[in-house]
Amino acid sequence: MKILWFVISPLAALVVGIIFLGLSRRFMARIQWRYGPPLYQPLIDIMRYFTQKSVSHGAIFDLGVVLSLAGSLVVVLFLPFGGICPLRGSGGLLVILYMMLLAPLGMALAGGEAANPNSSIGISRKFALALGYEVPLLLIVLAVMTRYDSISICEIVAAQRAGLPGIATFPLVLSGFAYLLIMPAVLGLRPFEVVQAPQEISSGPLAELGGRYLALAQIQHALAMFIGISLFVNLMWGGASNPFVFFLKMLVVLAFGLTVNAAFPRLRIEQALRYLWRWPTLIAFVGLVLVVVIGR
Amino acid sequence: MDRNQLVKWLEAPAKMSHKYSLHAVYFCTGCGIIEVPPVITARWDAERFGVLPTATPRHANLFLITGYVSVKTLRAIIRTYEQMPEPKYSVGFGSCPINGGMYWDSYNTIKHLDRYLPIDGWIAGCMPRPEAIFVAVTHLWTLIEKDMADGYKRYRRDYAQYRANQERVLGELEWPPLFAAGEDV
Amino acid sequence: MSLEVLLAIALGGSLVTYLLSGVNARLRDGFAVLVSLAVAAGVASLYGRSDSTAFQTGFLGMRLVLRTGPLPWLFAMTVSSIGCLSVIFSLAYMRGRERTGFYYAMLLLIDAAMLGVVLSGDLLSLFIFWEVMSWSTFLLISYNGGPALAAGMKYFVMSITGSLAMLVGVVLVYATAGTLALPGVAAAVSTASSGFRLAVLLLFGVAFAVKNAVWPFHAWLPPAHSEAPSPFSAVLSGVLIKMGVYGFLLLMYVVVGMRGFLSLGWRLLPFHMILSIIGAVTIIVPTFIALLQTDAKRLLAWSTVAQAGYIFLGISFGTSLGVAGGTLHFLSHAVFKALLFMVAGAVEYRTGGVRDLNSLGGFIKKMPVTFVVALIGVSGLIGVPLTNGFVSKWLIYKTLILEGSPFLAFVALIGTWGTVLYSYKFLHNIFLGQLPRQYEDLEPAPASMRLPMTILAAVVLLFGVVPGIPLRAIDAIGSSFGFVGLHAASWGVAAESGAINMVNIFTAVVVGLVIAWLIFRAGARGVRVDQADSYAAGAAVPPDKYQYSVDFYGPLRRMMAPWLVDRADAFFMGLAARVGELSDGVRRVYTGFVGNYVMYVVLFLAALILVQIVWSPW
Repeated sequence: MKILWFVISPLAALVVGIIFLGLSRRFMARIQWRYGPPLYQPLIDIMRYFTQKSVSHGAIFDLGVVLSLAGSLVVVLFLPFGGICPLRGSGGLLVILYMMLLAPLGMALAGGEAANPNSSIGISRKFALALGYEVPLLLIVLAVMTRYDSISICEIVAAQRAGLPGIATFPLVLSGFAYLLIMPAVLGLRPFEVVQAPQEISSGPLAELGGRYLALAQIQHALAMFIGISLFVNLMWGGASNPFVFFLKMLVVLAFGLTVNAAFPRLRIEQALRYLWRWPTLIAFVGLVLVVVIGR
Repeated sequence: MDRNQLVKWLEAPAKMSHKYSLHAVYFCTGCGIIEVPPVITARWDAERFGVLPTATPRHANLFLITGYVSVKTLRAIIRTYEQMPEPKYSVGFGSCPINGGMYWDSYNTIKHLDRYLPIDGWIAGCMPRPEAIFVAVTHLWTLIEKDMADGYKRYRRDYAQYRANQERVLGELEWPPLFAAGEDV
Repeated sequence: MSLEVLLAIALGGSLVTYLLSGVNARLRDGFAVLVSLAVAAGVASLYGRSDSTAFQTGFLGMRLVLRTGPLPWLFAMTVSSIGCLSVIFSLAYMRGRERTGFYYAMLLLIDAAMLGVVLSGDLLSLFIFWEVMSWSTFLLISYNGGPALAAGMKYFVMSITGSLAMLVGVVLVYATAGTLALPGVAAAVSTASSGFRLAVLLLFGVAFAVKNAVWPFHAWLPPAHSEAPSPFSAVLSGVLIKMGVYGFLLLMYVVVGMRGFLSLGWRLLPFHMILSIIGAVTIIVPTFIALLQTDAKRLLAWSTVAQAGYIFLGISFGTSLGVAGGTLHFLSHAVFKALLFMVAGAVEYRTGGVRDLNSLGGFIKKMPVTFVVALIGVSGLIGVPLTNGFVSKWLIYKTLILEGSPFLAFVALIGTWGTVLYSYKFLHNIFLGQLPRQYEDLEPAPASMRLPMTILAAVVLLFGVVPGIPLRAIDAIGSSFGFVGLHAASWGVAAESGAINMVNIFTAVVVGLVIAWLIFRAGARGVRVDQADSYAAGAAVPPDKYQYSVDFYGPLRRMMAPWLVDRADAFFMGLAARVGELSDGVRRVYTGFVGNYVMYVVLFLAALILVQIVWSPW
């Protein structure tokens, strides 16, 4: 049974991630008063990437891309999806927070090996942005962990299902609000799209990725969006008892992120850091203080 | 179903993906580039056709050479074309790449682009309207479907000749030859 | 093997090495390796023993005690194995240098002294070996001369200050307890008043804090570790710092005792929480200072300060998971930091002394094995799952969160992200990117350098996947302090809410990699190209000018640099400057000119006579 979930969970995440990619392009197009591509367009793109014969810069180039996709797949195994929770009791939220390191690290290795300054600049921006949103994100996650007195994400979801979702309870409403403020940064949407910045640094870490490498990077991007949204739904919105309701909740969060994406230009990296370390951090910090003071 | 049919059936998804996911490397040269932003933005919306601009040639499979090609630009065009992954398609846009167009007697422009780079199709005009780009994309789809869009294969087969032409015009090229002589398709 | 024979071999081996260098350099090298291997084997054979031997000396009737137990054994094992590996590494690194006999002798002497520190069973022999360790490390830090000498002096002065505080503490303890043997001392101190316990903690704590580079006593570490020869930097960062950790563990949980230590302070803010907060401060600022460094070894040195903060945070937090996590992190850090310093040493060796991160790049093409072990070391430093760093950090985080200190947990977690940033900078600026033309003919690291690095990398991975191996030893230490056992199995810790199961994590990662690999294989193969075929906007790649290394985190640096001022260092340098000025002032009185002194005598006599005439007091 467990082996089955080991296979189904990443597959479901892949499918949902690609649906999200297609939905986001269509959604953005509609906001911009045009028709946009069909919903299955990312699938066609990825198929095309797989059939193209591109270049490789070395063994670490290959391994880095594989590692980044593997990193995202592994995080998915630890995240509850509706009622599915394959790996409970193996380290909880801390392991998730650590596994989320693997994907950017893999991409950084591949980008570094590409021997292109555009990639290197993109990677330095990626890590700087990650540092930027991790400060409020860690305060938020710690507030949730302290409030529910557990590091197991499945237990936190169960506690929320037994009561109110996290964002509706008093001190955690601040953490939830801060989470919404940093959501575009976690998902890599505008105004925090500075990592790829196609017009500026030629797609950053993806500059030298073509063919199947680009396909894996796209799939990893889809999974990263899935992970970012699913973490919010699990920690703040009480998860769900079945995958379909979970998917609907994820759609709402995605719609929010895309609306922000459509309305804003791209911030520079220092503007992004200044924003992330100001109000979201302050609100998340106050939330954590209140959680500790008010008690569990 | 005989063997040929089976091969065609298996290759169909790949071919379909090449048709409906034509990402153009956003190489801005000449006058024609002014026609491209309206095409890819909300007014004419090329994304419906699967056509998107990309920042780097590594992500692209379509190269629109959008206007006259000066000698200096030819160097960059060749390098960009060679860095694109295969299969790739190149389209000459406007009359200048076809036969020199308005600059037919200039000392500094290339009159026949297909001596230096394999071109799969031309769009006549000075400048063609955005609708012409869409017609060209649909024609390219037909060519891909019929396996007639084989510019990249011709490049590989006749590379020695292309390289000789390039070196005659540009002098020394800073990159080594891409394919060994006589490499098979 | 008995403890005194072990120490005799270690110390005697150092002396014989020095004498042999006059005979034959190769013989001496081989002998040094043999001695360090013998010492390591000897320590390994002590596993499981828990006894002590006493020696009566004629000096003041003192008894010197040597002892072994779970705590000394773990530290002794780490000291001797990393010492052995760095001797092997030095074989190639020090070839052709001058005064190599002195170098090897000192290296072995330092190892012997550190062994003595951990194996000593009474405060006097601890102090003796501590002092031997201090001056021998000073001599070897200043081996290169020039800036190394200044760095060594800074270390030496701070270390001596700590040792003097320790001496005062020893005298205080002797006055109260009447004995210096550890069991007697522990009995006396743990039952003494809280003021006495605090005094003992502070006095000894200063000495151990200087060695452990806890803020604000960390100022000596960055210059010392970056200017020392690289194999010795590996020993410095790997085990010398850990002598401070050993001292703290001894002090907090053996001398003062767990109950005595945890009950100090006020109810809302116990003393050990203040120490944890100091540990947190030691994590946060040095992590970000490391981001700004352009010297590879200085970056690693600042990283050592930060990781020492993690260890200090763990052990002063006072729970069984905390002490276990801190102690495991000491072991993990010793392994991967020694590995990273050896990597920096290998690069330095092949490039002829270049440590500047702004001028290297692309070495993965020339030194692939060094890159792989560096990647493993960096993964351990960050704490990627399946490395030993992950297990130790996980233990520390878990105890911080479950005991209700989310702010400390936050600091520790942000420290990890800062670690990711500077570790990637280290890796990228040396190994990734474009290879400069001047290093086209670089050879890979010699075999005698690759061997210790590979062994350390294997240990990083082994202790990560099967953490039960070190956890068993650490559990024994925790139990000896009186903490509840950890229920450590070979695959991890099964306890409380949220256990960790490394086998599950390992399986998950393997499954992820397999799925990703399969998806990868579905695509068309890529053509292998070299660094000249990189996207450069249609132009050819300009050689030597296409690497983004300088100011790698530029925007971040511009934002943070004004806040990252090392005030402790400024304070100590200011203090040294003031003392220098005072001494200068005194020089005006003690001129060295006898006429001045005669004048002082005459003036004083005249003053006395004047006083007698006017007031007639005598």
